[in-house]
Amino acid sequence: MIEQNRFWRIVVYGSLLIAAVYYLLPLYVMFTTSLKGMEEIRNGNLLSLPLDISLAAWQKAWSSACTGVDCSGLQPYFWNSVLMVVPAVAISTALGAINGYVLSKWQFRGSEIVFGMILFGVFIPFQVLLLPMAQTLGLFGMASSIPGLVFVHVVCGLASTTLFFRNYYVGIPDELIKAARLDGAGFWRIFLRIILPMSTPILTVTVIWQFTQIWNDFLFGVVFSGLDSRPITVGLNNLANTTTSVKEYNVDMAAALIAALPTIIVYVLAGKYFVRGLTAGAVKG
Amino acid sequence: MGALSIRNITKTFGETQILKGINIDIDAGQFLILVGPSGCGKSTLMNIIAGLEGPSSGEVHIGDRLVNHVAPKDRDIAMVFQSYALYPTMNVRQNIAFGLETRKVPKAEQDETIARVAKMLQIDHLLKRKPGELSGGQRQRVAMGRALARNPKLFLFDEPLSNLDAKLRVEMRAEIKQLHQRLKTTVVYVTHDQIEAMTLGDRIAVMKDGVIQQFGSPQEIYDSPANQFVAGFIGSPSMNFIPVHVAEREGEIGVVLQGDGDARFWPLPDKLQLRERLGQALTLGLRPEQFDLVSAADGLSCKVCITEPTGPDTMLFSQINGKDIIARVHPRHAPQAGESCHLQPDLRKAVLFDPATEARVA
Ligand SMILES: Nc1ncnc2c1ncn2[C@@H]1O[C@H](COP(=O)(O)OP(=O)(O)OP(=O)(O)O)[C@@H](O)[C@H]1O
Ligand SMILES: [Mg+2]
Repeated sequence: MIEQNRFWRIVVYGSLLIAAVYYLLPLYVMFTTSLKGMEEIRNGNLLSLPLDISLAAWQKAWSSACTGVDCSGLQPYFWNSVLMVVPAVAISTALGAINGYVLSKWQFRGSEIVFGMILFGVFIPFQVLLLPMAQTLGLFGMASSIPGLVFVHVVCGLASTTLFFRNYYVGIPDELIKAARLDGAGFWRIFLRIILPMSTPILTVTVIWQFTQIWNDFLFGVVFSGLDSRPITVGLNNLANTTTSVKEYNVDMAAALIAALPTIIVYVLAGKYFVRGLTAGAVKG
Repeated sequence: MGALSIRNITKTFGETQILKGINIDIDAGQFLILVGPSGCGKSTLMNIIAGLEGPSSGEVHIGDRLVNHVAPKDRDIAMVFQSYALYPTMNVRQNIAFGLETRKVPKAEQDETIARVAKMLQIDHLLKRKPGELSGGQRQRVAMGRALARNPKLFLFDEPLSNLDAKLRVEMRAEIKQLHQRLKTTVVYVTHDQIEAMTLGDRIAVMKDGVIQQFGSPQEIYDSPANQFVAGFIGSPSMNFIPVHVAEREGEIGVVLQGDGDARFWPLPDKLQLRERLGQALTLGLRPEQFDLVSAADGLSCKVCITEPTGPDTMLFSQINGKDIIARVHPRHAPQAGESCHLQPDLRKAVLFDPATEARVA
């Protein structure tokens, strides 16, 4: 019996280990390559550790690599992305929370239909939106600008954030709202003093979700941005596609890592809450 | 002066009518119990009194004021919910203070109120704890404290004890009764526990399917139930319902009962005036304590299937006219299961129902 148990445990852990290696290997290759010099990359093994660690490639990717005609690295793109992500995440999360609060706790005639329509929005492929969205942005005078990108991401993220918050808030007993109403609190006071303090898990989930979505977005970034509002994903693409005499793999890898770093950091810092929030929502229905 | 007056309240959710014309009037200081099976509309009625939901038609008066269009917070009421509804992220003090803050009560007065309430309910030492760190009984007290802090004209309690274990329930029941005697505030109290209903109420409204079946004092409802539902719902163990035919022997009107031996005629009191129903099939209602153990000559021979000693009394499970019945007897004389005994029904307080409509006929 015990022998058999051990056998299965080895099988399970063995397959998990293989899966982990499979997923981590590209990261390892990217990271080691970004620390090597071009000479070493050309002569060495893809998997070997760098003999001579150098941050030159990172330096170049950040501040002097060419992305098309312009040669100031990823830096400006990175800050564009930050300027786009922070307000877009904040606004879409805040609006999602308020929508979810209304749709679960202040239901009105037809609110189920509104929710159904919002749910539908989750499944709409974004490609379909490109043309009408471009017209809308033009109409608002926000085309090719960071506020325009923020607007697009808020609109497209709203369906998911509303869904997250609504499903979480449905699990909060209605009696809590009734008690607060008897205590004299109104719509906003109940939201700010009672509901929001209970929302930490779902806030974390939503912020991580939105941050990842918006930071990693390429489609909207390439379609709706102007010359001075390109986000990092577009910058990375341009950097990798700019033809120089030799392909600088170390710079490409460093650039890709720079682009991926913020999402990785967010996951490491808040990943624990992410899983917890997802399951908390699931259990509460 | 009426403290609470509910006039012709109806409530419809979608297609289904949940409340079908409720009328209740109580005086200031009275303790009204709303009792009924699950889903009969008790909480809905409470929510309408509180203003958390609007009625489909009808009027609610609190004090002398029509409050149909008054917001919940302005109705001068406080409510304790079945789930307590304590704010989970606030500690006990903040829970009690929340309503006071919202009402812009000065800080000094808030502190005073919290201290008074905490002392009254013996929760002083819990003020810094979160609801998650309290036991069920303590949470219940905090919920009461939040209501008491307001000093309202009307208290609404929606099954406040149903989440507590049996022992704590009895304790809290006594405390609520004491509190009411001290404060003399009008209370509406929902329960589906008929013991709570009997022990706490000045007035009981028995509800079923959105209709008030009977409204009266606990004793009235116990002694003279308006229909078979009320008779069966109030009292524990519940009233026995025995199928009988109205018969006549030697000029007396009565019923024939049969246990495991010979059938026997028992006269009914004349005041029931059953002469015109001679020969009709009716349901005889007898409470378990309306049986006595007697000698063979005076009683009806019955075979005991099970006995349930509860301590002060022993319940005998038997059959009369083919229907299961329970008799409550003194443990000293109680027979064993499987034995036969002789039961004498006391028909002075007997009630009779129409088997088809379940309405009381006598
Ligand atoms: N918002 C609503 N929409 C539709 N039906 C409802 C709504 N609220 C309550 N009901 C229905 O109304 C009926 C009465 O509900 P209510 O909560 O008043 O019962 P109750 O007497 O308090 O029961 P319990 O003893 O279980 O608490 C139930 O059948 C319930 O399904
Ligand atoms: Mg209820």
